[in-house]
Formats: sequence, C-alpha cells, structure tokens
Amino acid sequence: MSATGKLFSYPKPYATEKTEALFLAAMRENCAFHYAHNAAYRKISDEAGFSCGQLQTEEDLARLPLLPTLYFKRHASFSVPESKLAVKATSSGTGGKRSVVGFDGKTLWRELKMAVKIAKYHRLWSPKLTRYVLFGYRPEKNGAGAAKSAFAFTLLAPAVSRVYALERTETGFRPDLGKLKEKLVRYAAGKLPVRTMGFPAYTYFLLREMKAEGISVKLPKGSMICLGGGWKQFYAERVEKEDFYRLAFEVLGVDDKHIVEFFGAVEHPILYTDCRAHHFHVPIYARVIVRDVDTLEPLGYGKPGLVNLLTPAVSSMPVSSVLTDDIGILHDEPCPCGCSSPYLELLGRVGVKDVVTCAQGAESLLKGEKP
Amino acid sequence: MILYRGKLYPDSMQGELIDRLEKELPLLLGGERLTPPRVIAACANMYEKALAGKYDGIARPLLEAFGISESRYRDMIAAFSPGQLRYRCAVELGPDWENLPPLQNGTRRKLVPLGVLFHIAAGNVDGLPAYSVVEGLLTGNVNILKLPAGDAGLSVRLLSDLIDEDSLLADHIFVFDVPSTETETLTRLAKLADGAVVWGGDAAQRAARSLAGVDTKIIPWGHKLSFAYATEGCTEDDMRTLARHICATEQLLCSSCQGIFLDTEDMGELEAFAARFFGILRRESTAFGAADPAMRGRNTVELLCDKIEGAHVRIFSADGVSVVVDADRELTLSYTFRNVWVKALPQREIVSRLKKQKGYLQTCGLLCAEGERDALADLLIRAGVVRVTRGDLSRTVVGEAHDGVYPLREYTRIAEID
Repeated sequence: MSATGKLFSYPKPYATEKTEALFLAAMRENCAFHYAHNAAYRKISDEAGFSCGQLQTEEDLARLPLLPTLYFKRHASFSVPESKLAVKATSSGTGGKRSVVGFDGKTLWRELKMAVKIAKYHRLWSPKLTRYVLFGYRPEKNGAGAAKSAFAFTLLAPAVSRVYALERTETGFRPDLGKLKEKLVRYAAGKLPVRTMGFPAYTYFLLREMKAEGISVKLPKGSMICLGGGWKQFYAERVEKEDFYRLAFEVLGVDDKHIVEFFGAVEHPILYTDCRAHHFHVPIYARVIVRDVDTLEPLGYGKPGLVNLLTPAVSSMPVSSVLTDDIGILHDEPCPCGCSSPYLELLGRVGVKDVVTCAQGAESLLKGEKP
Repeated sequence: MILYRGKLYPDSMQGELIDRLEKELPLLLGGERLTPPRVIAACANMYEKALAGKYDGIARPLLEAFGISESRYRDMIAAFSPGQLRYRCAVELGPDWENLPPLQNGTRRKLVPLGVLFHIAAGNVDGLPAYSVVEGLLTGNVNILKLPAGDAGLSVRLLSDLIDEDSLLADHIFVFDVPSTETETLTRLAKLADGAVVWGGDAAQRAARSLAGVDTKIIPWGHKLSFAYATEGCTEDDMRTLARHICATEQLLCSSCQGIFLDTEDMGELEAFAARFFGILRRESTAFGAADPAMRGRNTVELLCDKIEGAHVRIFSADGVSVVVDADRELTLSYTFRNVWVKALPQREIVSRLKKQKGYLQTCGLLCAEGERDALADLLIRAGVVRVTRGDLSRTVVGEAHDGVYPLREYTRIAEID
C-alpha cells in the first residue's frame, strides 16, 4: 500500500506525532505525482529549485512550492485527465471569484475514509432519525461544492426531512428565513432531534431575528447546530464565539457542547472539526504552517500570519501546499479536550472586501467588469 | 434613521414620510428663501464648536484610522469657516455672484438655486454625505439625501446640529436611509428633484441615470484614477514626497497615485528607476508606520500569484511595500496599500495612451525639471487630466475645482428678468 493509502487508513485521526514519517512519505508521493503529471506544477517546482527528495523532515515541508488559492480561482489545473474526474465543483464563490476543482475516484475514497474517522471521533454519527435544516440550496449537478458537502452532512444521521433556506427562483436564489423559523419552532415541539448546517453568519442572522421576535424554544435532545464555511463577506459582523453560543441557547435551547463548527476549503478538502473546547485541531492528513504576511517565512506557534495548508489527499489537483486568504495562529498549548495535535485559530481574512474605493470603481469599468 | 423637517423618525415611517414630502415640497419651494449668508452663518457657528472640540469624540477615531494629522483635520474643518465659504462662492460663481450686473440691454440677471437636489451619497469617506448637502444649501437648494449603506449616523448627527443653528434649514434638509435596491422609492425621490448629485462608481452612475427622468439634471461625481509622471529631471525630494503621499492615502482616494509612468523607452532605465523608488518607498513606509497587516497579506498573496504567472517584468517587495515593473503602458489600478506599478510612457505617447481613459483621469503628480514642467502639464491636460500637482497628489486647496468642474455652479442656474 502506498504511504498515502496507509495515512488515510490510519485509525486515529489526530495521532499526528505517531504518523509523522508516514505524512512526510505521503507528501513526497503526492508531490512526485503532480511533478510527473502536471506541467504547470513541474515548471513552478523547477523555478523554485524544489524536488520532492528535499522533503526529509517536518521543517522541509515549508519548502514545498506554495500555490495561493487565488491561483486556482484563476486557473483550472488538473494532474489527471479530465475524464477521470468523478466530481467537479466550484467553490462557493461568495467573494466573487470561484475555483473550479475536480476530484478523482482515489481522492474521493481518501476523503470518505477521513470523514468517517473524523465524524466518529467527534461523535457525529447517530442512528436516530433526524430532521435537517440546511442554510443552502438543494444540490444540483455541477453545482457549488458547498451544496454537495451540505448534502453529504445529512448522511451522518438518517434523515427524516431536509429543509433548504435558499429557494431557486427565475432570477437566482432567494433566502426564505421565515420558513426556517417556522420549521424550527414546529420541530421543537416534536421528539426527533434536529441538525442545522450553514454559514455562521446566516445562522447568526437567523438566531438574531428569532430573538428579536421573542422566539425561545428548546429543540429535542440530541439536536445540533453545525456551522461551516467561515464568516466570509460578513467578517465585519463576526461575533465572539461565546456570544454566539449564548444566543443559540436562548433561542433554540442548544448548549455549546452541541454546536460544532467545520472548516475546510475546496482547495484543501480536509475536514477540520472543532473539539469540545472549540479548537480546530489539525488532523493527521494535513499540516498548517503560519507565515509572515510580508516575507512568507514560517512563524511557528503563537504568532498571527497567513495560513498555509498542506495535504497529500488530492491527486487530481496540485494542492499539496496552498496559501489561503486566511489569517490565523497555530497553537501548541495543551487543550482541555486532551487532543495533542496543534490547533488553528482563524482570526480573519486578508483584504477588506468592504473597502470600496473610488479608484477601484473606475478600474472595474476599464476592465469591462460589472462592479 | 430619517431626518424630516428637523425631526428624527424611524425607517419604518419611510413610506408615510415620502408621501408627505410629495405633498409638502411644492409648498416649501414657494416659502422663505434660504440665502447664502444664513447658511454661512450656521456653518460658522458649527465650525467654532468643532474648533472648541465638540466633534472630537467622533473625529478622533476617524483621524486615527486614516492617519490624518491634527493640522490636516484643522484644515479640513476650516472649509466650513465663513472666510473660506465666501472665498469658494467667489471663485466658483464669480466675484459678482450676489449681485450680477444686468446685460447691456438692461435685462437683469440673478444666480438662483437649481431647486431641489437629490444627493445619492457614497460611503467611502465619512462625513461626505453631509458635506454634499452643505454645498447644496450654500446655493440655496432644498436637499434630499439618500444615505450610503453603512452610514452609522454621522451624517444625520451633523445635519441635525446644523438645523439647530438655524431653523430655516429644517425645511431644506431631508435624509432617508433607503437601500439602493429599493429602486421604486429612489425613482419617487428623484422625480421630486431638479438635479441628482450622484457620488460613487459606474454602477451608481448608471443606476442614477436609469432612475432619474430626462427632466432631472445629473451631476456625476464618479470614481477617478490618478498617477504620477516622472522624467529624469525628477529629484530625490520629489520621490520622497510621492512616497509619503502613497503611504498617507493608502492609494484609496480618487486623487491617490496608483503608479508611475516614466518618460523612457528603455526597460533597463525603468527597472533602475523602480529599484530607486522602491528603496525610498520602503524607508518612508517604515517611518510612517506599516500598513494594515490584513492588506499587506492580501498584497503578498496577489504578488505570489503574479510571480507564479510571470505577470510582471520585475517585482520588488519587502517590509509591506512593493513596486512592480510592467511592460504595458496602460493606466491601471494598483493593489493599493503601498503597491505601486512602474511603466514606461515616452512623452510623445502621453496623449494617445491616456486619452483611452477619458472621463476617469483625475490628478497627475508631475515629477520633472522646472524647465519642462509647463510643456508636460499641457500634454497631460490635453489627455484629459484635470489637475497637475507635484508629489502630494491629494493636497487640498481652497477654491479648487472638483474633477474639473465647480460644484456650486452645477447646483445653480441663471435667471433673467426684463
């Protein structure tokens, strides 16, 4: 079995120290594969003077050619023939630009093995019939990845019903928060547990509206509020986690032990799941390097910088080491949950989408874009 | 928040109040005339209070956020002092504006307000919506202001305070917080106006044109691009001033320098110039204090992507500032926040290259020897540039035009009486 295969079959998803050698070997395999099958990646590696043999220690990982997620928004780049892509998806595109990504069967198999183990670790599997409230839209063929992962989420516990917040209309998608409120209130009177899944911002706006309307219910035992995708364009409205948890308890009667947040990206399809202390521990399938915002030098633990994510999970695209738009801190302090793997704290995103300048407005017309 | 005849109302009363405005406005227009001396007096009182520190609580955080010095702030509020307001009227409307001499046949002339101005304000500069209304008041107009999204109440506060100085102003200021998506409501408000003062980008301009009737004059204050033009005659001092301007404005203003055109055909010369300017920008940036880390991070990511794509001839980058050398000769936006492009543009191509961007050109910081200054300024102006400065492109001068026109003239008309 290949090192990558062994890594994704390893039973403990957070045994980072024990799997160090395996991770390095898998990264060597992954980057050799892309070097051999992706001309653009080969050129980038050559220009950087990098070869996979240079990966001998954990420190060497920082030397891998770094591709910004922005690169994948500008270029579709595959290391397998397109006919081998089992799934093609676009990033949620909330910021305007979208990545076109594709995953082959091997990659999907690894993803599945990872998801099963992580869901088990975090006790997300449940045999109980569950009602799902999804802050997205019904998945469609060749649609956005977010809709697909939201659907996959409903397989963790058997679904009795699925309600979607976004309705497709002739002109696009229209949110129907009224429907969600009504369903949540109705489900609270029932016995079946409810699981919600959505962007933190949407969930927060809904909870805030419900509170303003004086709604306070208690969802049935075993109900969960699941958050994914980060605050995106709503960064300015981001609230402290504690305030969010308080609001969720007031409105839906769900305590913070039953609020789970996920983090991941189409360019780095690793399932980061917060622990009971609400920390995103790095699973064995990935590494996180935080880098200086000016020089891109690795900063180690405890210092804020650009978040660089590494994984050997994907063979269809050269996403071995991607530089995200996120700013974060990597922590190695002991966590009350007992997990010894470092955890990533996300602080924000680079750039401020909301800074609208007069010069930028003029530029968009010069380029013939719609501002 | 709605401000209607001096009183504050919640947004939920918007429909009702617009109904009222449609009925009351024609009556108000036949009422007591608002004269410039009264507006100047009201502004003077507010100006005195601002000097005494009344607005420090609001102003301090903004000054800090934008790195504006105390003396610059005093210059800014001085625009509301009686001396400067009168000077502006004289420069923009002519020295006889209060008393125009009759035509030679004896026909009398009067400078009168356009009538009702509908201000569609932009949110990129705090306080600008209120400033736009003051310009409308100064020319005696009734003003309806549509607040920009995200206005945290500063405009309403300033305008309410102004009304407190003179109750006649209450009938000349109406503020609504209508979202840009409510086009039907905006069309109703535009219908009431003789002129629509539109701040904002092309989308805002196009939207305003579509919602205002042909009988409403559009006064567009659109988005502009500014740049520097340097020749080998430019001094170290000129470059330092330009670098400081870039750090101080973070390249976010219409008048902010996005990049530098160098009078050369030689790529070697261009790279040498870029290296020299990079050194100066780096030093000035360090002295000024670094830009926001999130913006530096964004530029680092963009430049890494550019590097992989081979998008530039050369990238100089360190300490949160960057200078890129490009082979094209187009005026483009930089990444802002201390990222500058450097491109070759020989003098003989100035007009032909820049003319393509007509309507978007604003300021050019001209860095050259004194002997060549007039000839180069003339070429830039013929290309469409409306202001030629030295290294500090965003300096403000009392009485200067706005994007090449005088606002007060745009807000008035000439009436003739036999």
